Amino acid sequence: MIRNVSKLLRKTKEKKPHIQNNYQDSKPEDPLNGEFSQNVETLRLIYDNCSDVMFRSFLLFGKTRAMLIYIEGLSDIEGIEEYVLSPLMQESANVPQPLNDFLVLKMPVSKVKRVKMIADCIESISIGNPLLLYEGESDGFSLGLSKWEKRAIEEPVAEGGIRGSREGFNESLEVNTSQLRRIIKSPALKMQSMKIGKYTQTTVAIAYIDGLVDKTLIEEITIRLERIEMDGILESGYIEEMIEDNPYSPFPQILSTERPDVASSCLLEGRAVILVEGTPFTLIAPVSFFSLIQSQEDYYQRFMIGTLIRWLRYIFMVLSLLLPSFYIAILTFHHEAVPTALLLSMAASREAVPFPAIIEALIMEITFEALREAGVRLPKQIGSAVSIVGALVIGQASVQAGLVSAPMVIVVAITGISSFMMPRYIAGIAIRMLRFPIMLLAGTLGLLGIIMGVIAIVIHLCNLRSFGVPYLAPLAPLKGKELKDVLWRSPMWMMDTRPSFTGKSNVYRQSPEQGPKPKRGSETE
Amino acid sequence: MEKVKRRHFRKSVLLFLGICGTIPLVSGCWDRVEINDLAIVTAAAIEKKEDNQIELSIQVFIPKSLSSGGGQGGPGGGGGVPTTLVRSEKGSNISDALSKLQSKIPRKIFWGQCKVFVFGEKVAKEGIKEHLDFLLRHPQPRERAYVYVSKGKAKPILESLPPLETYSGEVMRELTDLHIGMRVTLQNLDEMLTGKSHAAALPLIDILPPGKGEKKLQGIPYIVGAAVLNKDKMTGTMTEKETRGILWLRDEIESYTVTLKPKGEKGEISLNPVSAQVKLVPQIQNKKWKLLVKVNTEGSVIQNGTNMILSSPKALKDAERSYQKEIEKRIEMAFLRTQNKKADIIGLGRDFYRKYPKQFNKIENHWNEIFEEIEVEIDVVAHIRRQGYIDKPAGLPEKEVKDK
Repeated sequence: MIRNVSKLLRKTKEKKPHIQNNYQDSKPEDPLNGEFSQNVETLRLIYDNCSDVMFRSFLLFGKTRAMLIYIEGLSDIEGIEEYVLSPLMQESANVPQPLNDFLVLKMPVSKVKRVKMIADCIESISIGNPLLLYEGESDGFSLGLSKWEKRAIEEPVAEGGIRGSREGFNESLEVNTSQLRRIIKSPALKMQSMKIGKYTQTTVAIAYIDGLVDKTLIEEITIRLERIEMDGILESGYIEEMIEDNPYSPFPQILSTERPDVASSCLLEGRAVILVEGTPFTLIAPVSFFSLIQSQEDYYQRFMIGTLIRWLRYIFMVLSLLLPSFYIAILTFHHEAVPTALLLSMAASREAVPFPAIIEALIMEITFEALREAGVRLPKQIGSAVSIVGALVIGQASVQAGLVSAPMVIVVAITGISSFMMPRYIAGIAIRMLRFPIMLLAGTLGLLGIIMGVIAIVIHLCNLRSFGVPYLAPLAPLKGKELKDVLWRSPMWMMDTRPSFTGKSNVYRQSPEQGPKPKRGSETE
Repeated sequence: MEKVKRRHFRKSVLLFLGICGTIPLVSGCWDRVEINDLAIVTAAAIEKKEDNQIELSIQVFIPKSLSSGGGQGGPGGGGGVPTTLVRSEKGSNISDALSKLQSKIPRKIFWGQCKVFVFGEKVAKEGIKEHLDFLLRHPQPRERAYVYVSKGKAKPILESLPPLETYSGEVMRELTDLHIGMRVTLQNLDEMLTGKSHAAALPLIDILPPGKGEKKLQGIPYIVGAAVLNKDKMTGTMTEKETRGILWLRDEIESYTVTLKPKGEKGEISLNPVSAQVKLVPQIQNKKWKLLVKVNTEGSVIQNGTNMILSSPKALKDAERSYQKEIEKRIEMAFLRTQNKKADIIGLGRDFYRKYPKQFNKIENHWNEIFEEIEVEIDVVAHIRRQGYIDKPAGLPEKEVKDK
């Protein structure tokens, strides 16, 4: 499979002429020279002052001068010793001829590739494949013996769950693609890869299922990726920002996940997955707003609880956006809108508070955000200290000191909890950000302001596209049948069709009417 | 093309943020009032004073009284802080008095949560029209606030400190919500007065004197009956029992207890209604105005003081017959009383107008006289359901129970 990837890798590489490497003498486009020593010299020059690049010279079968170039820590040293050096350094009377065929056919290394260009040599070396050059041969041989330290597959940290696979992606692209391939075994799962980043040369792979995905989508993604010209890609976030439809929107138009099962389910719906080397977070495009607030567990659990939890999430999404604003609006404008007893107790609790409701709410919300951020950045041992300080300072001391009212603490706490109810962290961020302008609107215009803010958000969401797919699909434009996976979670045997915007080339994903029924006709037998 | 679009979008984002940012600086926000700056009126009373002036009293909630938590004046618990204060001011009308009141209260008077309006007996007798206009025209008072007439002075009702509820306005509201007496909101009152019958009934409240050992102010207001208003002036009162009958006729009866004495039995049976439907059928026969009251009710036994077994069909029939009689008696009495008062507080005028618009239009001006003459026929279908699991009366030896 790795071979498959690297084949694709080479294909896409050729499409990218505009990345200019300013190596001194020989351009990477140049082919290798027939002259062994000149080639070695060129490479030595390229890897000048690179102490981690090893140039190991030896005699092939005791006669021919040869050079093995590899990077320490990226290549399998034991493998090199056992499968390359020891068989090749055996002195033998008759050197097998022709030598290059012998190397390809007889060397006990799974992947041996001829490289002709200097650029290919560099690529081979830098991904850890040792490069073999020897006298009398104009091509180099790239030996598939790369091996480097990688993290084991672990449980995804940001997307936990009770039921479902506990495997998460990790930083190694091969591991990630292999996880996808392990779930989707069909050869229809395609992976196109390319290198982005002038210095990092990060491999980025676009995975999709042939026959399900809209071909133009893959073309569009490729075009957008090829447009990227930057020094380095350190995380998929770089790419996300470079290829988004609307970079100024607070809403993410590309989903990121570190769960192979989520990525696979998106692939099966006809979406594309962009895997980036060096990060467990893969990108999924196109997405709709609703896929941001759906969790994989909605589907793993039975449909009733899936539906209920989804509703709970919708309710709390609205709460996390509007609850503080509502509280402010009612406290400052609409005193008649709440039951008398509630108003009286709110009035009583606010009696000693010196700030207007809007200021009080802003103080508390900003403090909460600060606490959350501090909790994320701090080492785990100190994190608990932050939460204690937060709970004591915000929860109790400030109320007792009369700086904040107790209902406001409750409101902020509920808002905080509900903003973490979003299964995708990035979706929660958008809502948390939008909370603040709406709070300002509520503090100045009351419910009218809230409504204006909500209308503005809805208009924006209606305008938004993710790779051409309407962000609010299937709600706007309305696709009645597809609400089965938005308003509620239909039972598995009723979800016969794919979402129409991504899976229109292949509508049915299962045969209809598979609903479990009692066996009939037993009497006739 | 793409760039232009982007720039356009960036502009609109900046504009949005700019608007959000500058709104707090704008001196507008004209109706923004912090809750700390509000004097929340929980009840209001209007009374007649000498020199053709009225006195407006408002009951204002004191937020401080609740904020320390548990510091409220319990029954008998000395030193409790009152949760409300009552301020009053005289003026030629409500708005005049209100503007004077505002100068006595450091916070902005807020009517939005006032759910109780009490008219003093004197002011009710002179007419409440002009005061109603203020309450209905002002944007803050609720149309769904309850309206009452007090027996005697209205201010002491606001001043009373009920031991059970937080303030006396709440007591009145809760009592009304129990449906034991009339329940009239500002909107109902307006509809009644502007409708065809030109008459209204309002619940009449009085103060239950405080019990022994309770402080002077701890009497609570309670509903003693109804005040009858002809046009907008109070002309008389009705007792609680009569009010109950009116409720039957207005089809507002919800909770009542009918206690009846079956013929030839010792002791009484008490019934609670399960359902009650009342239909008023106006009729004009030979130029005679008649009213047919059709009642369909079902009751459940809550006490059986007789020695009848209510599970036996015969005994049940007897009891049902007296149940019907009892209801008939009540309704008839109430109807006769309203006819005596010459005020159509049942709203019959509307019913007649709907069925006989031409005839009604002719007599609309002297409807009250016609109303006085209306003959009433009452047709009660009453059943006793749910005799209860204990079919024999409790606490009686077997022998004394009537078997059949």
